[in-house]
Amino acid sequence: MSLDYVKVSPGFEKYIAKEYRDFVEHGPFGKKVSVSQVGTFKEALEEHPMCAGCAMTLFIRLAIIAFPNPEDTITVGTAGCGRLAISQAMIPFVYGNYGDTNAVASGLKRGLMTRFPDKYKDVVVMAGDGGLADIGFSMMMHSWFRREKFTTIMLDNEVYGNTGGQESGMTTRGAVLKMAPLGKKFDKIDMPQLAKTAGCVYVATVVPNNPRRVESVIKKAVLIAREVGPTYIQAYTSCNIEYAIPTDKVMEDANNVEKDRYQFQEYITDEAKQYLADKWGYSEYKKKEIPGEVKA
Amino acid sequence: MYLVANIDSEICGKTKCTLCTQYCPEANTIQYDKIRNTAFVSVDRCKGCMQCVWVCDTLAKHHAIKMVMIDQLPKEQLRTALDMHYESSNLLKDSKINLPHAELVGK
Ligand SMILES: Cc1ncc(C[n+]2csc(CCOP(=O)(O)OP(=O)(O)O)c2C)c(N)n1
Ligand code: SF4
Ligand code: SF4
Ligand code: SF4
Repeated sequence: MSLDYVKVSPGFEKYIAKEYRDFVEHGPFGKKVSVSQVGTFKEALEEHPMCAGCAMTLFIRLAIIAFPNPEDTITVGTAGCGRLAISQAMIPFVYGNYGDTNAVASGLKRGLMTRFPDKYKDVVVMAGDGGLADIGFSMMMHSWFRREKFTTIMLDNEVYGNTGGQESGMTTRGAVLKMAPLGKKFDKIDMPQLAKTAGCVYVATVVPNNPRRVESVIKKAVLIAREVGPTYIQAYTSCNIEYAIPTDKVMEDANNVEKDRYQFQEYITDEAKQYLADKWGYSEYKKKEIPGEVKA
Repeated sequence: MYLVANIDSEICGKTKCTLCTQYCPEANTIQYDKIRNTAFVSVDRCKGCMQCVWVCDTLAKHHAIKMVMIDQLPKEQLRTALDMHYESSNLLKDSKINLPHAELVGK
């Protein structure tokens, strides 16, 4: 919330919590901040116990900067590494049981729409590949089938990082992990395709080696979910512990994996394009593209 | 003792670069001083992962970041970093910043 929400009587400002004032005066509350200004404002994310150099940490950091309205956002997470950081931000965080995130988020978003019909309240699920593609699979799919209006972000490190290296549905075929020593026998689940089939109106795959791009897809996904329908982002967020990546090579790994199997892909329905153009001034979606027409 | 990143503001200040601020995995850790045009590290938050070193060497090609044992940080550099904290125009203006090594420079 910004001080527009909390009206302080003159002279009483100093009794408002220091942290809160910091976020209003030097942070992202009540104003727009962008990744390109980072380092000059106080970020909503704070210190947390995730591993040094973890790409998931970087992605979460960028995602939180990108939220269009952090003071009107609620994050939903679950067991897994990501919640260790997501819960340490000046943004309300709901801990869904492992697997429950998208059911919790569905109820939460509907409640918020009923309670605040004239305001946008953004709900964003951020959970691991195990949490979403394995145990949370049915609840995630059903939230999409029901076209629930919130964003789901998969922090895809291709492993159960928090519990020491079991394979998940998103692990690649053949990968040998500490607790999957025989190697994965099946292919990585094609979740972006499933998301499209299940009714997501915006789907993107990203790697955090391009901070501006992460910012752009998160913004679009959250805005579209306000009124058009469910949105899904899948981010490659390597686990340098389980995949033994030296921390100063994490970005090199991200570049290699991006080339190999994580190319940037963005799917957006015409309805979502039009919504972004009309409501949020996205000029790239303003002109109606006529297939086959070549402009001089 | 442990390693933390240390930015040479002589080198960084001559560039218009802000790249490492966007790649450090930790929030509120590499900050940017708009007065001196240089990035600087809040070393009490740095986890020593060296991603910023890779970014500055490989992407930005400025070679301004070195890893230093926290008790070996050059005093002059440290003083500047502390001053930056207090002076930096728009940043954490009235925060009491509790740097673990503050006693090293007698602040
Ligand atoms: C119902 C339930 N089953 C199992 C667990 C144990 N558990 C905690 S974290 C985790 C794995 C997390 O893996 P993933 O979702 O891929 O996230 P990551 O840690 O890799 O980010 C498991 C199995 C749990 N907390 N709750
Ligand atoms: S275990 Fe892996 S995914 Fe979890 S915080 Fe550490 S490096 Fe990141
Ligand atoms: S990458 Fe190097 S030159 Fe660029 S802002 Fe960081 S320290 Fe300065
Ligand atoms: S070493 Fe890692 S944590 Fe420390 S400033 Fe550099 S990127 Fe950030």
